[in-house]
Amino acid sequence: MTAPHPVNHQPGFVLHSHAYKETSLVAELFTRDYGRVAAVARGARRPLSGLRGLIQPFHPLLLSWYGRGELRTLHAAEWQGGLAPLSGRALIAGFYLNELVLKLLARDDPHEGLYALYDQTLQSLAAGPGALEPLLRRFELGLLKEIGYAATLDRLAVSGEPVSAAACYRYQPGHGVVPEDAGAGIAVSGRTLLDLAAGEFAAPATLGEGKHLMRALIHHHLGGKALYTRLLLQELAEL
Amino acid sequence: MNPPASLQNLIEALRILPGVGPKAAARMAYHLLQRDRPGADKLALSLNRALAGLRHCRLCNSFAESEICELCANPRRDPALLAVVEMPTDLAMMEAAQTYAGRYFVLMGRLSPLDGVGPRDIALDRLIERALDGVVREVVLATNFTPEGEATAHTIAALLKARDIAVSRLARGVPLGGELEYVDSGTLAQAYRDRRSL
Repeated sequence: MTAPHPVNHQPGFVLHSHAYKETSLVAELFTRDYGRVAAVARGARRPLSGLRGLIQPFHPLLLSWYGRGELRTLHAAEWQGGLAPLSGRALIAGFYLNELVLKLLARDDPHEGLYALYDQTLQSLAAGPGALEPLLRRFELGLLKEIGYAATLDRLAVSGEPVSAAACYRYQPGHGVVPEDAGAGIAVSGRTLLDLAAGEFAAPATLGEGKHLMRALIHHHLGGKALYTRLLLQELAEL
Repeated sequence: MNPPASLQNLIEALRILPGVGPKAAARMAYHLLQRDRPGADKLALSLNRALAGLRHCRLCNSFAESEICELCANPRRDPALLAVVEMPTDLAMMEAAQTYAGRYFVLMGRLSPLDGVGPRDIALDRLIERALDGVVREVVLATNFTPEGEATAHTIAALLKARDIAVSRLARGVPLGGELEYVDSGTLAQAYRDRRSL
């Protein structure tokens, strides 16, 4: 008998895992061609399991699983290497990426572009000290674009008129860029919108306004769900 | 027909255990009542005694029967060394290694950002207070080598370094007696990164 729907050697990352029964794990995976997949790794918590030590976030793996439905069975994971373990603030940033992917992407929806961005962002985080903010903004924007929540930043939503760098606008979640006098929406300058659309995160004003805009959009699309990594950073700042 | 109320209550009560669903709870209840009544008696008694008698040690936060646990009260343990572990089982493993002669602090958990476990859910504030008693010179971080354990260690290190306490972390690498042929790639990669000169 052959296993149903086998997938072999699929590049992917573990986003999160939790203990399942006596010795197993359920892992939430982010894979290149299959998107988010949940799979049980049987016996992965046994001392001599080949999967033990591999089912960890932030390491590129080649994953093999079978089965259909909500929960697949993960039977092999191969270490790809090349990525130093995250530490310090980069580690917390890594948790933040994983939480965004877990909470904003639906299961079994492939997002190749976002996978590449995730991979690249982890590489940069692992490469060592550097400014975290531009990396996080780029990833947030990429994620929102990929799931269709920030599709057009350089044109007005209704008229299709191009955004002007010198003017001020508002961004309405679920709608798009509107003139500043439209009332509702997040205030944002034309310069920032154009920078974001072009993937330019160098200017401090763009980073500041971009952070504000991304935060509001993510909050809107989470539908009230809290982001634990953000709460963690706030609570740590208070200690 | 519904089972009698007290049986129903017992089944409900057993379901609070992790990994125990309604069927397993019913099986446990029938086993205790039908096959092993003395065992059930012992379980009830130990549970009551543990609830009444156990508390957190004022110094190490682990379970103790008095205000200060035996290990913390032992004058032969070096008070200048404080090892931080996640759970009492980790403390037991450190003790089994028979190398460490200092004292402990048990967090009773770890920071787990994706599960919503934050600094307020583990005893971070009490650890800081404990480490700043004026006697502790070095804090040894012995949390697990998982991303969550690492995040916990990083957080504690940042908090303590800002207060001028020396902080160290357990080393990691190839296990003792480990043949490279059988070591997993992740561990081997880390052992190479943490290599030391001879």
